[in-house]
Amino acid sequence: MNHYFSPNRRRLIEQGLVAGLGVPFMHKSMAQSRSPGASSKERILVVFELSGGNDGLNTVVPYGDDAYYRLRPKLGIARDKLRRIDDRFGFHPAMAGFERLYKDGQLAVVHGCGYERPSFSHFQSMAWWQTASPNSGSQNGWIGRLADSLYAPGVATPVVNIDAAQSLAVAGTKHTPLVFEDPSALIRQGEAASQALLTGVAQNHTSLPEDLAFLRANARSATDGAQAIGEAIARYKTPVDYGIVPTQLPKVAALIAAQHSARIYYASYRNNAFDTHVQQADVHSRLLTYCSDAISAFFKDMQRIGRAQDCSMLVFSEFGRRPRENNNRGTDHGTAGPMFLIGPGVRGGLHGAPVDLNKLNETDNLTHTVDFRQVYASVIDQWMGGDSRAVLGKGFDPLKLYT
Amino acid sequence: MGQRQLVTLILVFCGLSYLPPGSAQPRQAAADLASGRGIFTEISPQAWNPALAAHLLERAGFGGTPEQIEAMAKRTPQAAVRQIIFGETQQKLAAFDPSPIDAPGMDPFPPSRPATTEAAKRNGRALGIDVKPEGTRRMQPVTNQFFYWLRSSQLETGRLGQWWANRMVVTDQPFVEKMALFWHGHFATSEEKVRDVRKMQQQLTLYQTKGLGNFRTLLIEAAQEPAMLAYLDAGVNVKGAPNENFAREIMELFTLGIGHYGELDIREAARAFTGWNFKGLKFEKDLSKHDGGTKTVLGRTGPFDGGQVIDILLEQPQTAEFIAEKLYRYFVREQLTVDARASLGRLLRQKNYDIAPFMEALLLSRDFYSAQGEHIKSPVELAIGTYRRLGVKSLPGMPDFNATTGGLGQRLFYPPTVAGWPSGRSWITPSALVARGNFVRDILFPDIAFIPPDRYSPDPQIREVARRINRGDEISRATAPEAIPGEQSMSIQMADRDEDFNTRYASLRGYQLAIQKVKPILRDSASVEISDLMKQAQAKTCDDAVDALLARFLTVPISAGQRTELVQWLRRELGTDQLKIAETYMEDSLRQLVHIMLSLPEYQLG
Repeated sequence: MNHYFSPNRRRLIEQGLVAGLGVPFMHKSMAQSRSPGASSKERILVVFELSGGNDGLNTVVPYGDDAYYRLRPKLGIARDKLRRIDDRFGFHPAMAGFERLYKDGQLAVVHGCGYERPSFSHFQSMAWWQTASPNSGSQNGWIGRLADSLYAPGVATPVVNIDAAQSLAVAGTKHTPLVFEDPSALIRQGEAASQALLTGVAQNHTSLPEDLAFLRANARSATDGAQAIGEAIARYKTPVDYGIVPTQLPKVAALIAAQHSARIYYASYRNNAFDTHVQQADVHSRLLTYCSDAISAFFKDMQRIGRAQDCSMLVFSEFGRRPRENNNRGTDHGTAGPMFLIGPGVRGGLHGAPVDLNKLNETDNLTHTVDFRQVYASVIDQWMGGDSRAVLGKGFDPLKLYT
Repeated sequence: MGQRQLVTLILVFCGLSYLPPGSAQPRQAAADLASGRGIFTEISPQAWNPALAAHLLERAGFGGTPEQIEAMAKRTPQAAVRQIIFGETQQKLAAFDPSPIDAPGMDPFPPSRPATTEAAKRNGRALGIDVKPEGTRRMQPVTNQFFYWLRSSQLETGRLGQWWANRMVVTDQPFVEKMALFWHGHFATSEEKVRDVRKMQQQLTLYQTKGLGNFRTLLIEAAQEPAMLAYLDAGVNVKGAPNENFAREIMELFTLGIGHYGELDIREAARAFTGWNFKGLKFEKDLSKHDGGTKTVLGRTGPFDGGQVIDILLEQPQTAEFIAEKLYRYFVREQLTVDARASLGRLLRQKNYDIAPFMEALLLSRDFYSAQGEHIKSPVELAIGTYRRLGVKSLPGMPDFNATTGGLGQRLFYPPTVAGWPSGRSWITPSALVARGNFVRDILFPDIAFIPPDRYSPDPQIREVARRINRGDEISRATAPEAIPGEQSMSIQMADRDEDFNTRYASLRGYQLAIQKVKPILRDSASVEISDLMKQAQAKTCDDAVDALLARFLTVPISAGQRTELVQWLRRELGTDQLKIAETYMEDSLRQLVHIMLSLPEYQLG
């Protein structure tokens, strides 16, 4: 449970309100349900990053393949414990939320996502996913470039990155993303007499040194967006249970409910949490529960306020883990893993070719079957109404991931 | 502090004529840097001035007061740098005063709560606490003890952070602390995973005592610190079952940098480190778990152990370049050319990996002095620098140092990942900028709703459990989640499935036990009188006041228009231009003025 909500949730329960009746807390306009297939202008993309290298094989488990149990004698999850998808795959038992979304046709699993000549470094591989440029350098992130391509400079903040530090993924050239973790930190303290000068620090100046210009752009972004965001999040009330460990998703929900200008939200389950080298079963199970709870709650919440149709979420990790478990009941850095797309607009089901557990490469790793940029391209073209060739620098065969 | 302000300051002091900033020397240095040649051309004694002395104090430490800058400017640059790096001190700094949190049976501390209760189930005892022979929640005391240690180590780490930060504020040898901070970020480990304040403290002591010494010594000792071994799972790296985590991070983050080794090198090096472990606070090599076979690492083959692999890594020119570049980026600027990187690496090897002489050359280079205002201060640099420039005699307990710097992205002993903290622009987000300003406000106008974070649980669930326990609820009722039936998240459902103990209650009791043992942090507020600073600067008018404060705090100049706005604002607030007239009441307005100035984007640059 996120602490922003606890007092309200208490009150809700005391008043006997249940899920779905939280509507009185909102403006009428926000509660109106929208017709499906909102135009791409109104659509929202939420990117949720699992940092540390999520063990894909124990997330979408290929239980129909004996090789899985050979590679995972201790960590393999028994068939009867899985949440079955079909006669080959099942979700990890901890992922009740994902199972529900899948059954509702709102969750697409894309098998085997990775890239050529993979890096086994968290930082390198994550940077390549964030810039969408493996084995080469880029100063800008794919979300930053997408926003630059979709929104004219000067329009209200199109990208919100909820984190303590700005992600490389949202770095662009035309827009300064609004980055925050604690919304109260956006409120500038100061007496009335000094407020004008305090907020005036962001005025435009010509020919500033680069770093100073950068600092001023950030100060302006804070001045523009701060008050509204802080208030929207403080005011937001929801009866939906987001789970035991706070993620940033309730804040995303609050901003969407407040009809914030942002079209792209970027959040992370961070600090390398998914880096499960040792005794991974318990911790991986917990992590998957937290994420699956929070993500399914987010869509329940969006449903509640009538915005689910407008939302799509992309979930990824910088690499999968080694198919063969190590001797510490953990797994080491690997290559390909599944990506997830979630939302009512998504073509639910399994996509892409499954990885071949019987054909490991020379580093004992999986060979990817889908370049992750194919998934990015699908999101850019099919959901955001953008031009993936321009954003990604070249064309990638899209998968049909949206209805 | 920028030359412009400094010159203004001198003007205020001595009535000297104004000289335009920007000598030819920095431009020459930039050209040297671009070519990679002559990056270590020494600054000439003739060019030495208060602005350069201020730059040295800022970058090699945490910034100086006008008096300290004046004293440093009177030396030669060579003497100034020697003073910074090798200076002796008579100052006696208080050692860390640990709380009595140790308890028998805590070592080795189990990796998780399930591991603890499973051990208790198996052995009838864990963490020095017996399982009750019968009754309900037989393992509750064991579970309480588990949370007690987690919490007390965490709270004590907060005290350790406060102690270290205070040292940064008061020390005569700030360079030692600045280097220790560098190594803490380089050999990053986090209390989050280590969960033992004693290990964190021991590791800090290494960086404080040997941070200016030889990199080889430091690398070996850092790699053998229990904090590092615990953080990188060295204990599970054993013969026949190598774990790559430790070897990978040593190559990628501590020595070579990415791209200068292969996956096979990592696997082979991991074998060489097998058997490395710790017992209590000591490194231990378990030969029975060491793989003595032949390994091939970076083209060299032999029956290596970890120390030999480290020597192979140190032989690589890439290691010297990687470390030298990192030092350059920490002390000078973010950008450097490939050629400059190579010559820095050569220098470090010439100095035989001795950090002090390398740093002496770096801090004497014209290139270093051409980087004024090109550094975005890290949160710790910002906070410590602010206190030092304000001239406080000790680190105040309000606002809470750890909460402040943590909110800005840099909590001591909690680097976010094994790669340590990012730098430069990564520190800055819109909300971080606002928070940096709010921090200054909190120093000058103490928060009357301040809650000491070392006595107060920020978790509303624990507070709610405490409330219900206190009103007499049964443990199961008191700890029941309040979610709506049927709508409960899976994690909530799973939290309390084992009836041998109650984790939520244990979490509460652990907190209470920890607060009983961990000593409190003194919550004094900063003793600062801006009016006194005005008197020291002999400021007579609002113009003087603004100039003196700009000179004291800012490195990067603000525009003439901004300066005029500040002067006019102060005049309006004071109701006069003459400080003499406003003497008895000007403190409040001066504090607001400092708050405004230190909220400027310019203040983030050093």
